[in-house]
Amino acid sequence: MLFSRRLMLGLAMAGSLAGALAVPAMAEGPTEIDLFFPVPVDGKLARDMSTLIKEFNEGHPDIKATAVYTGSYDDTLIKTRASIKAGKPPAAVIMSANFLLDMQIENELTNLDPLIAADGTTKEQFLGQFFPALQGNAVINRSVYGVPFHNSTPLLYINADKAKEAGLDPSKPPQTWAELTDWAKKLTKREGDKVTQWGIAIPCAYDYCGWMMETLTMTNGGRYYNEEFGGEVYYDTPSMLGALTWWNDLVYKHKVHAPGATPGPAVSTSFISGNAAMMMLSTGSLTYVRDNAKFNYKVAFIPRNVRNAVPIGGASLIVPAGLEADKQKAAWTLIKWMTSPEKSAWWSRATGYFAPNMAAYKTPDMVDFLNKNPDAKTAVEQLEVAKPWFATYKTVPVRKTLEDEVMLVLNGKKQPKEALVAAQKAADETLKPYNAETSLKLP
Amino acid sequence: MSLAEPAALPVATSAAPRLHVLKRFVGRFKASLPAYLLLLPSLVFLALFTYGAMGRVIIDALYQRATPKAPVRFVGFDNIAAVLADPAFTGAVVNNLIYAVGTAIPSIGLALLFALALARTSAVSSALRAALFLPVLIPMVAASALFLFIFLPNVGLLDYYIGRLLPVLPNWLGDSDIALYAIMVITIWKNAGYYMLFFLAGLQSVPEDVMEAAHLDGAGPYQRLRHIILPELQPTFLFVTVIAILNAVTQVDHVFVMTKGGPSNATNLVLFYIYQQAVEHYDIGKASAATLLTLAALMGLTALSFRTMANREGGR
Amino acid sequence: MTPIDWLLKDAPLATRREITPKLGFLLTVLLAIVWLIPFLWMGVATLRPASEGINLMAELMPSLKPTLDNVRDAWEIGDFPRYALNTTIICTGILLVQFFTITLAGFAFARLDFAGKSLIFYLFLMQLMLVPVLLIVPNLRIIAQFGLYDTLAGVMMPFFASAFGTFLMRQAFEAIPTELEDAALIDGAGLFQRIRHIYVPLSMPSFSAFAIISVTSHWNDFLWPLMVINSPDKRPLTVGLSVFTATAEGTQAWGTIAAGTLMVIAPLLITFLIFQKRFISSFVTSGIK
Repeated sequence: MLFSRRLMLGLAMAGSLAGALAVPAMAEGPTEIDLFFPVPVDGKLARDMSTLIKEFNEGHPDIKATAVYTGSYDDTLIKTRASIKAGKPPAAVIMSANFLLDMQIENELTNLDPLIAADGTTKEQFLGQFFPALQGNAVINRSVYGVPFHNSTPLLYINADKAKEAGLDPSKPPQTWAELTDWAKKLTKREGDKVTQWGIAIPCAYDYCGWMMETLTMTNGGRYYNEEFGGEVYYDTPSMLGALTWWNDLVYKHKVHAPGATPGPAVSTSFISGNAAMMMLSTGSLTYVRDNAKFNYKVAFIPRNVRNAVPIGGASLIVPAGLEADKQKAAWTLIKWMTSPEKSAWWSRATGYFAPNMAAYKTPDMVDFLNKNPDAKTAVEQLEVAKPWFATYKTVPVRKTLEDEVMLVLNGKKQPKEALVAAQKAADETLKPYNAETSLKLP
Repeated sequence: MSLAEPAALPVATSAAPRLHVLKRFVGRFKASLPAYLLLLPSLVFLALFTYGAMGRVIIDALYQRATPKAPVRFVGFDNIAAVLADPAFTGAVVNNLIYAVGTAIPSIGLALLFALALARTSAVSSALRAALFLPVLIPMVAASALFLFIFLPNVGLLDYYIGRLLPVLPNWLGDSDIALYAIMVITIWKNAGYYMLFFLAGLQSVPEDVMEAAHLDGAGPYQRLRHIILPELQPTFLFVTVIAILNAVTQVDHVFVMTKGGPSNATNLVLFYIYQQAVEHYDIGKASAATLLTLAALMGLTALSFRTMANREGGR
Repeated sequence: MTPIDWLLKDAPLATRREITPKLGFLLTVLLAIVWLIPFLWMGVATLRPASEGINLMAELMPSLKPTLDNVRDAWEIGDFPRYALNTTIICTGILLVQFFTITLAGFAFARLDFAGKSLIFYLFLMQLMLVPVLLIVPNLRIIAQFGLYDTLAGVMMPFFASAFGTFLMRQAFEAIPTELEDAALIDGAGLFQRIRHIYVPLSMPSFSAFAIISVTSHWNDFLWPLMVINSPDKRPLTVGLSVFTATAEGTQAWGTIAAGTLMVIAPLLITFLIFQKRFISSFVTSGIK
């Protein structure tokens, strides 16, 4: 006997396994497409997504869509890029809205203009369905590359019970940084040196931290980046210096904000537990707060120092480059269906994200829902002053240069000014190749 | 390296050296054929998934694009120089050294303690072994999920029970001075039971009669440990150290789940840096260069430890 | 007999009057309890109703009104028996093929002399240290070319050759006295017969050590299966679990996470607790170095 019987058996098993598990060859029938989706808020949504796709498949017998769960937003980007490289791109992906520019620069996106034109609509008509604030992250060089699917803005959440306790009127939430600082001071409780209740919590972990810095900078009159051109960020500016200095003051001068970098889940947990009386967090967390807060809460616009303004967040549907025509067409059908007013509204109610399609708010179910949950209205109202989410060449590394420095400030290791100078320098370095090809490529 | 010594090269002294060499070569190949056949299955998979991929890494490490739209071009060692000049990389190397030493020593030390304490099989020691081994069985992703809650500020397990005794509640994962140590705790918790198994096995080779004789001669527990047990466990130590170091470099799932390398790169480890270069920066050239550097360092280290192991075996 | 005496009757060494081994044993008992706390919390938090609020989430005393709500939620989100099956198939498949490849290669390195031995040895050595993340893209391309994208076989294949296992087997085989083999040689046994009847049976401890190392590491794989697998019914446990743990915008349902984690580890945990005596004892008495 050449090989041991057991080893032979093992090999045979592995062999048959490989055979049995290989994908059967493409058969005639409906166009099979994959939709990659990250889990936006919590695990229940994975189930909601399956429900949604099942409904789509029942209504479209010529298409068989499969919802493929792909981890976090970052994991989704890796998986999408890896499958494009492996020659097996998915037909559609729910992609974090600020990754679009980066992917477009890398030639990984399908330009959606021809698909829109084939439907007999103009670009203006198509984009006109969505809130204007969302267009900045979906349109690159006047071409459409993404369709907004679920979006958010940052909100100020207030524990109304604690506010009343401290003699504050939750029906008149703070509107300016000065008022917010005052509220936070009154809402902070101490026992000796130990703080038992923080006035305010603002999240700072990779991804969230940059978004909050953009928020604070915008309300301070500034801009985070050049909205028209992916090669510039404005870190070392008075408006951002003011924003970071205020955040630093909340921690080290007024001592109403916990030191260190606190990720989003820790902030929401802290608010729910009553340990923080106010927090700034995404509208995407509204459903979670509504379901878990054991106290009256109130949501409000992010207070301003100079003006009211917030960035959008959330994700858009994209079509990767390199797809066969029939899959592209099927993907487009799916995308239009998912972003229709009814589906958009349904998803919004399930997640707490707002529906990007304006008509969603005219559907009877949504009108009903808003009457029952007036807090969801605040997010929509704030859209009036919303602006695009930062997106540059190499968005994530450029954002991270700022975040690392902000974390140093929040940990008491650096002063705001030197931190921002360092962040600007590092970001400029990362953006250099892109500028060399565009703004600094001179005749 | 003694264990893989090729046979002495033929020294050609005869009149027709060239023919002679060729003949010897053919003869040697024929003699080697059975070995090649045995190695073939492994080599096929290595060629496909290790060296095919590895070849890509080496090639990628030598190329870079000047601008986003420009095609990649040959840049030689520029990528490697760029990685070495990147403070994030040197920071990650330092973190990884602290992490490797700070996880390997405590977890191996604890594993030895556990093994010594639980060497005798009984109902109680079986239960204790099981308890200490449980963390090994759960995926790192799951362990990270549990520890995310344990380290959660204010309401988390640690703050709920221990934090109250401290004057100021530490922000375990958010404070750049503490975060790396918090991450290390998970690794120690997860690996000590694993290494314990190898020490338990190693202890079986400690001769009972020698131990008893030493005891009768009045040798105390320290002396017995120092002069009888530890020398006997030396191969186990080497084996476990190699595994621990490999773990410290190749297992970063908890960094992915819990900190993403933050705050301010305080928990950035080398593999995570590579991941960031490849995925976030989308800079395959730099990622490959960092991989090559890591590989070279690890190769040296492993070759060294295997050499020591081989020497211990009497230089066969 | 006081409880301490009862515990200490299992303390190591028959030297009852020495204090150090007893202290060591007590410390181990203490640490074993600490080691179990995360599991204890997981169990308690799983059964705690969400209505008790976040502030009691860390409490290790079980709730007086236990609920299965979290378990039900987790159960509805994930198809856990299927995930467990997939993970089992992956780990078993990898291990079986590895046994085959490492036995042959280990034997070649231990007992045969051949041209280029040290070169090939280093070729193996390098695999130990390759960083998996960077190999994802090239390997995914190969898997796709083989038509194994979105298959469990595709998840397994890159791990079929194992340098680590080869070294382990080489070491084990080298320790076997050549006299045994010489006897077999006289009987006219072929190469594979000698491996089968002499080397493999005498190296069982090393096989079991390798099995543990291989299974526990592939049980933990996350990023690679996430890349290869698309179909929900082919997800392994780790990918299934991350549905609970990976959240994007700042909220986490800790009770559901605890329940999901519990379900992910339950099958292995139960199997282990049933067989642990045999499992660890056989490992321990085998005397692996």
